[in-house]
Amino acid sequence: MDLRYKIVETKERILADNDQAAEKTRAAMRAQNTVFVNLMGSPGAGKTSLLLGLIPRLGDRYRIGVMEADVDSDVDAKTMADAGVRVIQLHSAGLCHMDADMTARGLESFGTEGLDLIFLENIGNLVCPAEFDVGADFRMMILSVPEGDDKPLKYPLMFTVSDVMVINKIDAAAVFDFDFDAAAERARALNPNIEVHRVSAVKGTGMDELAEALAARIEKIRKGRV
Amino acid sequence: MKIIKLGEKITAANDREAEALRQRLKEKGILLINLMSAAGSGKTTLLSRIIKDMKDTRIGVMEADIASDVDAVRIEALGARAIQVHTNGMCHMDAGMTAEAVDALGDDELDLIFLENVGNLICPAEYDTGAGKKLMILSVPEGDDKPLKYPLMFMESDALVISKMDAREFFPFDMEAFTDRVRILNPDIKIFPVSAKTGEGMEALEGWLSEALEEWRS
Repeated sequence: MDLRYKIVETKERILADNDQAAEKTRAAMRAQNTVFVNLMGSPGAGKTSLLLGLIPRLGDRYRIGVMEADVDSDVDAKTMADAGVRVIQLHSAGLCHMDADMTARGLESFGTEGLDLIFLENIGNLVCPAEFDVGADFRMMILSVPEGDDKPLKYPLMFTVSDVMVINKIDAAAVFDFDFDAAAERARALNPNIEVHRVSAVKGTGMDELAEALAARIEKIRKGRV
Repeated sequence: MKIIKLGEKITAANDREAEALRQRLKEKGILLINLMSAAGSGKTTLLSRIIKDMKDTRIGVMEADIASDVDAVRIEALGARAIQVHTNGMCHMDAGMTAEAVDALGDDELDLIFLENVGNLICPAEYDTGAGKKLMILSVPEGDDKPLKYPLMFMESDALVISKMDAREFFPFDMEAFTDRVRILNPDIKIFPVSAKTGEGMEALEGWLSEALEEWRS
């Protein structure tokens, strides 16, 4: 066929450029032996609370930094700073996700030297953040009990790309019809390797176990680097 | 040199399509409501309750999701006309997609059409779908700080449902701080605290829907 014009698949092109930038970040993190985690979840799923619960449990082993990404406001960064956590707030200028380039710029402004572990708290959204590799070593997502056990059916990509799934707010299970086994099975049907945890970030239930599992994962990543 | 701002052009084209759909539905006496919220705030549960309560109103529902048809199946089981729309990975519905969905649903013998938008507090706020009213949900477990983080959604909505009121004992939710934050962004917004499960507050919301429909037709 005689093609008189060029067809550009914009989205594929954007994602390819993004993947290149993500690889660069991963290499930079590897070089300084920092483990970088992309934390995703809906608005109000408990991303900030989960980090506030994890940091004291991992803080004796790792020097931790948090990058808070939001469309607007700095409430989360303030909460983190009040808790004594090294933190930076990133604004996405209306965008519903962080891409690799924005993340790399965030890391640069943050100054990551001397940090062992960095969490990116992505923008609250189960859709767009799933599409973009930000250059993290692994992805962790939160599904909270009030959101419902059907979410893997509706937002499959998020569950497909995540390494760890944390079911949060389990203390509220009594008022919500949430089938834990069904939620985990639906996620595993999309992603057989996904590691599922149940916690109440605020009450502390399951948080020690989650912290230990994350520490094991972090150590495995660091060992794989040498 | 000419500089083209792509974002603005997309929005302008979308606004034209939205206006055309709004006019078309107005002539037919149908009020289209764009229902928006985060994932899992209770959009389908709220609609199920409205369909059960407002038996004299002919309701159609367009369920927009990235994947699955679980919501459309739930709505259809209640006897309401429903279609499932898949957005092909997109995080919102625009006016063109909505017009196409209305065609598929059929715009005959209906009073209210609900577009249950993709679960997301960001992208859907940016697109005029051609709806006559925008209704948003914020559920108690999501927290009272959300107007600070997702201001556009609260600015754009005509009415706000605070859902899952029956779960308040489990979650610290400062109602006064929350409504103050909302009213700073949007002084005219109507606020309805409800529990679709217990029925608390549903009457006020359904009254607002009936009034909105009457006003739309006058």
